[in-house]
Amino acid sequence: MNSYSLTRSNFKDIFDRLSAEYRLFGPKRLAGRGRFSDTDLITCDFLADIDELEFEEKSFMSPKSVVFPADETTFVFNEEEFKEPLMRDQREIIVFLRPCDINGFARLDKIFLENGDRVDPYYQRRRQKIHFFMIECSSSFENCFCVAMQSNHTDNYAVALRFDKESIEIQIRNDHFNRFFESFGTKSAFTPEFVKEDAVKVELPDNDEMPAEIFNHQMWSEYDQRCIACGRCNTSCVTCTCFSTVDIFYPDSRTCGERRRVWDGCHLDGFTEMAGGHSFRKNKGDRMRFKTLHKIYDFRKRFGFDMCVGCGRCDDVCPEYISFSSCINKLGSTLKGEKA
Amino acid sequence: MSADLNRKKVTKNAFRITKRRNHTALRVRVPGGHITAEQIAMIADIARRFGDGNMHITTRQGFEIPNIPFEKMAEVNAALNPLIEELQVANGVSFAASNSGYPAAGMRNISACIGNRVCPFANTDTTAFAQKLEGQLFPHDFHVKIAVTGCPNDCIKAHMQDFGIIAICEPQYDYDACIGCEACEKVCKRKVTGALSMKNGKVIRDARRCIGCGECVLACPTGAWTRNPQKFYRLLIMGRTGKRNPRIAMPFLNWVTEEVVIQVIRNTIPYIDRYILRCLPKEHIGYIVDRTGYDVYRREVLENVKLNPEAKIARTMQWPGYDTLNDANMRSADYWKG
Amino acid sequence: MIDNPYRPFAAEIIELRRETSAEFTMKVKAGADFCPGQFFQVSLPKIGEAPISVSSFGPDFIEFTIRAVGTLTNALHEYRVGDRIFIRGPYGHGFPVDKFRDRDLLIVAGGSGLAPVRPLIQKSLAGELGIRSLKLIIGFKNSEGILFSQQIEEWAKKSDLTLTIDKAEPGWSGKTGLVTEHIKKFPKDNLKNLEAVVVGPTMMMKFSTAELVLLGLKEEQIWVSFERLMSCGIGKCGHCKIDYTYVCVDGPVLNYPHASRLID
Ligand SMILES: Cc1cc2nc3c(=O)[nH]c(=O)nc-3n(C[C@H](O)[C@H](O)[C@H](O)COP(=O)(O)OP(=O)(O)OC[C@H]3O[C@@H](n4cnc5c(N)ncnc54)[C@H](O)[C@@H]3O)c2cc1C
Ligand code: SF4
Ligand code: SF4
Ligand code: SF4
Ligand code: SF4
Ligand code: SF4
Ligand code: FES
Repeated sequence: MNSYSLTRSNFKDIFDRLSAEYRLFGPKRLAGRGRFSDTDLITCDFLADIDELEFEEKSFMSPKSVVFPADETTFVFNEEEFKEPLMRDQREIIVFLRPCDINGFARLDKIFLENGDRVDPYYQRRRQKIHFFMIECSSSFENCFCVAMQSNHTDNYAVALRFDKESIEIQIRNDHFNRFFESFGTKSAFTPEFVKEDAVKVELPDNDEMPAEIFNHQMWSEYDQRCIACGRCNTSCVTCTCFSTVDIFYPDSRTCGERRRVWDGCHLDGFTEMAGGHSFRKNKGDRMRFKTLHKIYDFRKRFGFDMCVGCGRCDDVCPEYISFSSCINKLGSTLKGEKA
Repeated sequence: MSADLNRKKVTKNAFRITKRRNHTALRVRVPGGHITAEQIAMIADIARRFGDGNMHITTRQGFEIPNIPFEKMAEVNAALNPLIEELQVANGVSFAASNSGYPAAGMRNISACIGNRVCPFANTDTTAFAQKLEGQLFPHDFHVKIAVTGCPNDCIKAHMQDFGIIAICEPQYDYDACIGCEACEKVCKRKVTGALSMKNGKVIRDARRCIGCGECVLACPTGAWTRNPQKFYRLLIMGRTGKRNPRIAMPFLNWVTEEVVIQVIRNTIPYIDRYILRCLPKEHIGYIVDRTGYDVYRREVLENVKLNPEAKIARTMQWPGYDTLNDANMRSADYWKG
Repeated sequence: MIDNPYRPFAAEIIELRRETSAEFTMKVKAGADFCPGQFFQVSLPKIGEAPISVSSFGPDFIEFTIRAVGTLTNALHEYRVGDRIFIRGPYGHGFPVDKFRDRDLLIVAGGSGLAPVRPLIQKSLAGELGIRSLKLIIGFKNSEGILFSQQIEEWAKKSDLTLTIDKAEPGWSGKTGLVTEHIKKFPKDNLKNLEAVVVGPTMMMKFSTAELVLLGLKEEQIWVSFERLMSCGIGKCGHCKIDYTYVCVDGPVLNYPHASRLID
């Protein structure tokens, strides 16, 4: 393991050298593209230039799109055959992201690589190309509760970075990347630190079995009115993996089209709609319950650890000020028999 | 000593003749209707020291300080210096604050809705735009009313102005980020014009139907719709209240830039100067356009204006309104007894 | 991508049979051996994909019995012998046929729920599953809705079969009443050696299983098959998840103690 101290201009050179061999992906600020006018959208996307990397703020969208794009063509078809689209850019991918998001990938892996004993080839072909460049969190952001979810820490990175005012401190775990850094900067003893405390305190219920009363408990009914089923909490979440399949056809072709998979989410209308219009979770409160239990209970029951990594994005993005972390705490009090 | 006033000079100086003999009311300009607590304290102080402690909030977002004795005008003007410094000079007007108060009162206070400093719907900082207009247009003597509103909801009633400026946005679509949730399509259909439709799980925007409100941007969960950071405006013209022919302002220019809006309003001043009927005490701009016709107005104010490529110009112009003369429509109670 | 579980393969339609006004059975040429109760993802390019149970299979054919309710199923309705559809599968856990060996089997099926149990009935009657005895309670809303009527007649010859419609109808001389009423009449002796399968609409399954428990059956002896919205069929898309259970991979056939505790 080597550590270096770099200047900004060193880092720019390294970034350019990395760009020649890898595709770089990370938080990216789109000026003036926020939901409100004159605000910025911080998304996660491929980076053409070091200046595009937003290393100070938390992104609105998560980096999951690098392995699980919002809309992905799975097949191109005509009436005879289904063909997978090629992955044109075969370069490996460096992803700049934070510890919670790295831990988020372990959740994505469970679903896409293991669940149902089948490997999702579209996920896998990107996933195996990925190297994590971890951006250290010097302190947590507004809605983070990573400590409660034990996802504030990780060793799963190729390179760790600290962006100081003047310098950039890096630690290399994957020696393969040494050659990019050796000739720049000075050796140092830098090791990244991890946040030890978040402002948001979450007490996680650790029930192995959720009492049946919880499913129909009136604690969920407040969300019937509050949630507008916009789906932001699902789409921005680094660990939500749900999708729907759609076939599209080219208007000018009689025979050709594409099969695609597109993000879906359990808060969105239609997620459980069956023939005849019957929905299993019509009420928003039931959707909130379903999401909550998936994130902090039934995923663990299946895979041994919680799904939610406490990145707090769902709280960041909810237009109705529904706080997921508060909901977990309400569930905790309800379980303890306290009045939520 | 009897008061001997040059009424026209007084009025031009933003003091008005009031019902109460020997007393005036001062109109304080607050461009964009935005003011700091300190500034409002300064206005209050003028009201306390020179008036009777009352202030009136005008529909145009200015203040009127009534019951000021005419002989206090010079002192009041001196007291206005810091306000003029902050609200006019700081915004770039061509005059200095020099103890002489407001140099003109023809162009009314430029009002604005609260805009994007607060409102989620607003497509621009309307306060800043109003302040910029103040700097570019004030002072002049022609009676012109301008208001800036942040979105087509038009909370400031831009439709009742000589120049109503509506901030709009060009929604831009990131095809790859769209998950086909239909939230944008629904909101545009329900609240706006139905400019969006779904095809193959993606959204198609009919640019001719889109009014640039930005509802789709607000609705989109994935940021697939974002505003083009280049800002656009719709300029409505020649709306008015008044005793003869109240009517709403109609779109003259659409999808134009801030520069175009400012230039067109600036070009209107010499147009007024060329055509105004000087035999009348004052002729409102709308009535001048009625006399010259829209074509002449359009040609003259667009001269030398460099239009942005997106700009659209109204081909013809008709203003919905009514003639107050039309009494034939009004019937006494007997008629309704039938 | 050599190993792409999402890639469907073409299967030629070799036979079509109308069952009711809305349902038809489509036989396609495809070789496979699998477990009764499993399903395929059936698709038509440009139209879409949906899970459809195998309603019969042999070494070189698969049958699907399809109810035309939406985009894909209506489009399939237009297909003719010789046309090709696309399928991938088989998916999910079917009926635990090993556990049924040497046991008495009671199958309660309601409406289109008969389709997924049909292979189970066929294999049982063909003696392939080593089942001790087979009893069937099959219910339909009305006589119009009866699926596989010819076969039901044949099955009746070889097993203890109750065919019932919900309410009496002119011209109907058979049994009437909901399946639950016929479960009530089931002999209570020898329940120890019984395995019961219940498949049908949600409400029908709910009341039938309750009735079986009342009868004295242990929950472990009851098996149900679930239907949920599905997109992938292989445990990725999340649509079919209930609690920690993925209906597409852990089900669709679930043991009742498991199924009864799942709340959507
Ligand atoms: C394990 C399993 C086995 C099934 N076996 C059969 C079968 O043997 N025969 C048969 O006719 N049908 C079966 N179904 C139901 C069938 O999959 C749906 O009716 C099918 O999705 C309809 O597709 P469509 O494109 O025609 O309808 P769409 O136009 O897609 O949808 C019509 C309506 O059906 C809803 N829908 C979509 N998917 C499902 C679903 N999986 N289940 C119920 N409703 C859905 C839609 O939301 C919509 O409300 C099965 C479902 C499952 C989960
Ligand atoms: S549920 Fe919320 S806090 Fe948890 S991982 Fe998802 S977005 Fe982050
Ligand atoms: S929380 Fe909802 S959208 Fe997210 S993975 Fe779970 S079921 Fe899917
Ligand atoms: S972001 Fe908020 S309003 Fe939107 S679906 Fe999630 S909880 Fe509901
Ligand atoms: S900006 Fe307004 S009118 Fe235009 S597409 Fe969006 S919602 Fe519709
Ligand atoms: S709201 Fe956004 S994601 Fe939804 S359909 Fe419109 S553009 Fe697509
Ligand atoms: S159908 Fe996709 S997870 Fe079950």
